[in-house]
Amino acid sequence: MKLQYITIALVALLFTSCNDFLDIRPTGKVIAETGEEYRALLTYVYDKVPEDRGMTTLRSDEMAADASTMSGYDYDSYYDIWNWTDYNRNPSALYFGWRRYYHTCYIANYIIEHQREITKATDAEIKQLVGESYMLRAYMHFLLVNLYAPAYTNCTPETTRGIPLQLKADVNAVLSCSSVADVYKQILNDIAVADEYMNVEKWEQGYNYRFSKDVVSAFRARVALYMGDWQLAFDEAEKVIEKYPALQDLVASTSTKPTNYKSVESIMALEQIITTSISSIGYVNPDLLSMYRTGDQRKSTYFKAKTLKQWVLRKEKDDYDNERCSFRSGEFYLIAAEAANELNDKNNALKYIKELMQKRYKATNYNTYSKALDAMDKDALREEIAAERQREMAYQGHRWFDLRRTTQPQITKVYTTADKTEETFVLEQADARYTLRFPTEAVEANPGLELWQ
Amino acid sequence: MNKRLYTLILFVAVAFSLSAQNRTITGRVLDGDFNNEPLIGAAIRMEFNDKNHPAAGTVSDIDGNFSISVSSAVKGFYVTFVGYATQYVKVGDKSKYDVILRADSKVMDEVVVTGYQNIERRKLTASVSTVGISEEKVGTIKNIDQALAGQVAGLTTMASSGAPGAPVKIRIRGTASMNGTQDPLWVLDGIPLEGTDVPAMEELKDIDNIYQTSIAGINPADIENITVLKDAAATAIYGARAANGVIVITTKKGKQGKPQINLSAKLTVNPRLSIDRLNLLNSDEKVNLELDLLKTDYTYRENKGAVAQILSNLGETSAYKAGGWEALSPEAQNQINNLRTINTDWNDALFRTVLNQEYYLSLSGGTDKVNYYTSVGWYDEQGNVRGVENNRFNMTLKTDYRINKFLKLGASVYANQRKQDTYMTDYNSFTNPIYYSRIANPYQLIYDEYGNYVYDKNVEGRAETDLDFNIMEERENTSNERIDRSLMAIFDAQLRFNEYFKISTQAGLQYDGYKLDRYAGEDSYAMRYEKYDKRYNGETFLPKGGMHKVNQGHTSQWTWKTLAEYKQTYRKHHDFEVMLGAELRRIKSETNYTLAYGYDPRTLTIQPVMFPTQKLAESNPLSSETFTENAYASFFATTSYTFKDRYTLGGSIRFDGSDVFGVAKEYRFLPLYSVSGLWRMKEEYWLKGVKPIDDLNLRISYGLQGNIDKNTSPYLVGKFNKLQILPDYLEDVIESESAPNPDLRWEKTQNINAGFDIAFLKRAISLTVDYYYRRSTDLIGMRMLPLETGFASTTINWASMENQGFEVGLATRNIYTPNFSWTTNINIGYNQNTVLQETVAENSTYPSREGYPVGAIFAYETAGLDEYGYPLYKTKDGRAVSAEEFFKLDKNGASQLSAAEQRELYTYMGSTDPLISGGFINNFEYKNWTLNVNFTFNFGAKVRVQPSYNSLYFDRGLNTNQDILNRWTSTNKDTYLPTLMTDDGIHNSEIRFYENYGSFNNLDIWVKKCNYMRCQSIRLGYNFEGDWLTKLGVRTASVSLEGRNLFVIAGDYTNYLDPETMGNPYATPLPKSVIFSLNVNF
Repeated sequence: MKLQYITIALVALLFTSCNDFLDIRPTGKVIAETGEEYRALLTYVYDKVPEDRGMTTLRSDEMAADASTMSGYDYDSYYDIWNWTDYNRNPSALYFGWRRYYHTCYIANYIIEHQREITKATDAEIKQLVGESYMLRAYMHFLLVNLYAPAYTNCTPETTRGIPLQLKADVNAVLSCSSVADVYKQILNDIAVADEYMNVEKWEQGYNYRFSKDVVSAFRARVALYMGDWQLAFDEAEKVIEKYPALQDLVASTSTKPTNYKSVESIMALEQIITTSISSIGYVNPDLLSMYRTGDQRKSTYFKAKTLKQWVLRKEKDDYDNERCSFRSGEFYLIAAEAANELNDKNNALKYIKELMQKRYKATNYNTYSKALDAMDKDALREEIAAERQREMAYQGHRWFDLRRTTQPQITKVYTTADKTEETFVLEQADARYTLRFPTEAVEANPGLELWQ
Repeated sequence: MNKRLYTLILFVAVAFSLSAQNRTITGRVLDGDFNNEPLIGAAIRMEFNDKNHPAAGTVSDIDGNFSISVSSAVKGFYVTFVGYATQYVKVGDKSKYDVILRADSKVMDEVVVTGYQNIERRKLTASVSTVGISEEKVGTIKNIDQALAGQVAGLTTMASSGAPGAPVKIRIRGTASMNGTQDPLWVLDGIPLEGTDVPAMEELKDIDNIYQTSIAGINPADIENITVLKDAAATAIYGARAANGVIVITTKKGKQGKPQINLSAKLTVNPRLSIDRLNLLNSDEKVNLELDLLKTDYTYRENKGAVAQILSNLGETSAYKAGGWEALSPEAQNQINNLRTINTDWNDALFRTVLNQEYYLSLSGGTDKVNYYTSVGWYDEQGNVRGVENNRFNMTLKTDYRINKFLKLGASVYANQRKQDTYMTDYNSFTNPIYYSRIANPYQLIYDEYGNYVYDKNVEGRAETDLDFNIMEERENTSNERIDRSLMAIFDAQLRFNEYFKISTQAGLQYDGYKLDRYAGEDSYAMRYEKYDKRYNGETFLPKGGMHKVNQGHTSQWTWKTLAEYKQTYRKHHDFEVMLGAELRRIKSETNYTLAYGYDPRTLTIQPVMFPTQKLAESNPLSSETFTENAYASFFATTSYTFKDRYTLGGSIRFDGSDVFGVAKEYRFLPLYSVSGLWRMKEEYWLKGVKPIDDLNLRISYGLQGNIDKNTSPYLVGKFNKLQILPDYLEDVIESESAPNPDLRWEKTQNINAGFDIAFLKRAISLTVDYYYRRSTDLIGMRMLPLETGFASTTINWASMENQGFEVGLATRNIYTPNFSWTTNINIGYNQNTVLQETVAENSTYPSREGYPVGAIFAYETAGLDEYGYPLYKTKDGRAVSAEEFFKLDKNGASQLSAAEQRELYTYMGSTDPLISGGFINNFEYKNWTLNVNFTFNFGAKVRVQPSYNSLYFDRGLNTNQDILNRWTSTNKDTYLPTLMTDDGIHNSEIRFYENYGSFNNLDIWVKKCNYMRCQSIRLGYNFEGDWLTKLGVRTASVSLEGRNLFVIAGDYTNYLDPETMGNPYATPLPKSVIFSLNVNF
């Protein structure tokens, strides 16, 4: 009997001392507990937000290409995107992102769900983290719905297939699509919740890739614009301008681009406007280039001549890492102008478009062009604002979405092969290819994904 | 206990002093198996008429002599020596006796080494098999994992590749785990080895196969025997790591006696591989094929192939398309016809016949106080693939000391260095020489008339060929060298207090280090690829020169175990044994990687890389390192009780604990246990009289084994890193790329074994039959996730399965005369694996394996081709329908069926694991000649091969086998091989389907049977005899000639080199070899 007790005691002792022996913290591995660690989780997914907005430049009418600009690798990877081939694609053709967006949502949801367990952080810090998570989730859904679902303004949002909404961190969930209307509703809802949580007005330079309270109106204005909700778009755009009236004065100097994260216009600087690998595939569509009128400082700010005919993106050494822009003031002058015009508020429309133009055109040219605006009726002004928008936002990942939400015009692209034969591609007006197919690997992993009602 | 010991000592002392000393017996003990050399340390024990006479005995000295004074009551004496049959000598009038002892294999077998304990066979309740490792038994092998092929029932082997030093995949009693390791645990002289897992076949395809497990460092010549532990009763003591069985290696030891020197030399010839079996197209056929294709609408990679290039250069492509051959200029016709005359012998260019060498020298011996064994071995192998080499140097030192009556100490050191040399073959799949030999065009030149490299413009496949590839240049200008060094040291001590109780402890240190050195010269595809990959604004940012990548890794483990054993016999009939033990283990492993550019191998200088941006510098790190550390603690106990030598009951239990990150401490220890029983029927009085039966045992055991996946946590586990989003602001990040699973449980396997051993007709026939049933539940597996979860896959408890089977081992002595003997060994393992339950993800379109083996292959059953050469599918009701109807395709080629309905479309084809496997071994001895013939076989497996060609993505720039000529065309309708598909307005949705969903590979025509019987070894040996040997100081000498893998008898493996490597076009097939071997013993 005695022996038994001794044995039990001995075994118990062994087991406890062994627990120390077995306590090994794996090098580099971590389960987030502290505020700093949760921030590190979020920073990682911020970094991994796809650069797809830049890639849409290929799909839009902004870039021309031929065999001299496309390398074999570019051809295999991007040619199908550029010429709208969605079926019978080159096996190595790239896709726009999918899982990455949802992985970002997952981490955002994870933080939202674990907010009460975060240690070593002030209440304000935790709230800011949670708020940013809501914003990030909304932003991911917003990008997805605009890549993979028909434009809100060109469909019946209530009955049109949107994208799956990921609102819970659950690896076992099998999601199905929500309608376009529901996706937008969720986005606006998340922005509103985020607004309540966030308390950092604006992140200091260097950290201004993060969402902050100031981004709320900007994001909401863009969502409203894409929904065709002119009043909301106008109101929110005005709020943004009120806080960020500054515009980069290109008349004075073209050295700093408005898209630089250090520019006075920068509100949030998360995404690279376009990556080098994409901008080097082709050259600026001559049609786009010819839209820049005399005195327009943007032409030489944004682009440079590579050959006599071919212009490419101007990238100084400094620009590569610095050119990040998700929201900047310039866009909101354009939104305010466009929305005001639609709301028949010509005064405001002219006011905002002119304020922008003033910083973009040399003074003499500005005077000529701004006078011409005064005489325009609503339709003419709409076109002019759209043109100004095209010039202002060129190569910054806006054009494709603008085409989608507005007229979805016919686009023709011509590719000259190495032996000088021409291949012509046409995207018809309101072509179904204005909406991307879900990536094959996503459908393979979830065969019910494409099903809708 | 002390009292008992004291009594014993006193008793012995008294016995010696009191014995009457009126007679002296002297003699010599000689080794009958070793030229009658003296045996040192043989025990001589006297037997007396008087039952109460005190015991008396002695041991033989260094010359085998002994001398003892005893009373006249002596009747005779026993001479015993470990490993030899005990001899009884009757004492007559003589006073001098010469006793010749002979080794007794039966006696040797009486103890089974499990690594923890030495169990007497008469008490063995478990299912184990022991293979003595000698050339006669297993032939000439280079690595010990090769030794087991066909030797042990229930153990299947599969060579991953025939490349020098490539590991062999071993499975014991089928597959019990899905995600975790499926490899058995290897134990060397009591210490479990690290680094023995063989990577998955898939990985072996990717890497350039320069990989070895730590097993490869052990010289087979140092091994005495290998014991394979199969059922739970045997393996439970090893805990979680033993779920796949245990292989225990026992190395040779010095024997008491004069020093022995053993020398052996082996010369091996591996004739060049022949790729004739691949049935590749010759130049004429290939040119015709290209010409034919250019006339069709099939446009995939239309500009590839020499014909297209000639036509394009001459601007006659459209002329040819319109008018055919006749429309071509004489120039074009000439150039094309010229291609037909070139037939590059890729077989000769890439492969060779090689001569390999191996030498081994050992020195061993011992006295009653100490024994020693020292050996060195050198082995050098040239691969059949030119430029591939492998060598090994090893050294073993073993010494055991008997300090006194109580204490024994031992120390062993095993050291080896291995070196493998090849060239860079991982920059693209085609850079692998085996694969390249299959796809290189027969008209492709290697050198032009000036001796310059001719680059293959077709192999890269991309729209434009930017980078030049020539496999000879690659072989010349790149190198890939791996050096492994390992050192293992084992110390053990045994303290035997008395005959009942002993404590032993063993500490093992294992250190494995490797260095993988990869160099690519500036003029190589590898380097051009690297530069192409590292571009900025279209220009590479790498400096001029070569590249040098170095991976280094070190793994060190220590294991320390302590056992206390107590054994006693009560009232003559009750044998009782208990063992308690504890084991601690800690493993550290670190890797280090450096990458240098602008490398000049002559000056060993490098050039700095000027990264144009911070981001590029971040994404192209020039060095990295990893470090991991794991700890394990275990407690175990075994017990056995034997009644009257007839009935034995055994039990064992083990608690395994390990560091598992993010798991509550109470889940750290999992109890694993076994219970078992043995009934030795021959000991029963009613069987004792049955003469023909020599032995009959029944065994039964039950046990629980388990495993846990350490890589999946219930929590979101991330990795620390640093990065910057905006320039100059470096931040901490946590990479969160692996999906958590809060529901993960231990993986458990229940194990039942029942078997019997029977021997009859004076052991001329002995048979062992085992039945086993293993049921594994909560198996851990990888599941693909819908991407909308944010992750691509996760690990879950998803399945349960069972393995059941029979193992039959039959050994017969067919003929036995003084001059001639013939023995046969047949072992057969039959394993039926069934997945009982498998959670198939809702989104899976591939069927569940429920009710099928784990290696189940499912395919779409085809029903020939339609009138355009497109596959028709067989529906469940036997109709032949088009893919469009079968899959309900929409115009985009997407199936309108739900995932569950799509799963239904598959048909079960068979399993990748053989149903029956085993070996058939015959040994003939005639006087001094021996002949061994070993066969191994695997039956009932299927394999999914790579399609000979893909109907949509057949690349005309590459060579292929004859199947392409037999594809469906309007003139060749009598075939099962589908046409090359082009948008014809009829099949567009099908084409979209094959294009996007890769279903072409899942057709049943790409599933082949894999039945084969391999003649593993035919060996003829001769033992020299005669006085001249003794004059030369030679004790024994023998020579042998062996043919390994000379032929394979198999079902249809047309177009493949070897049935065993059919599924892997990158693997070097197993080489044939002829080995001459010489063994001399001094």
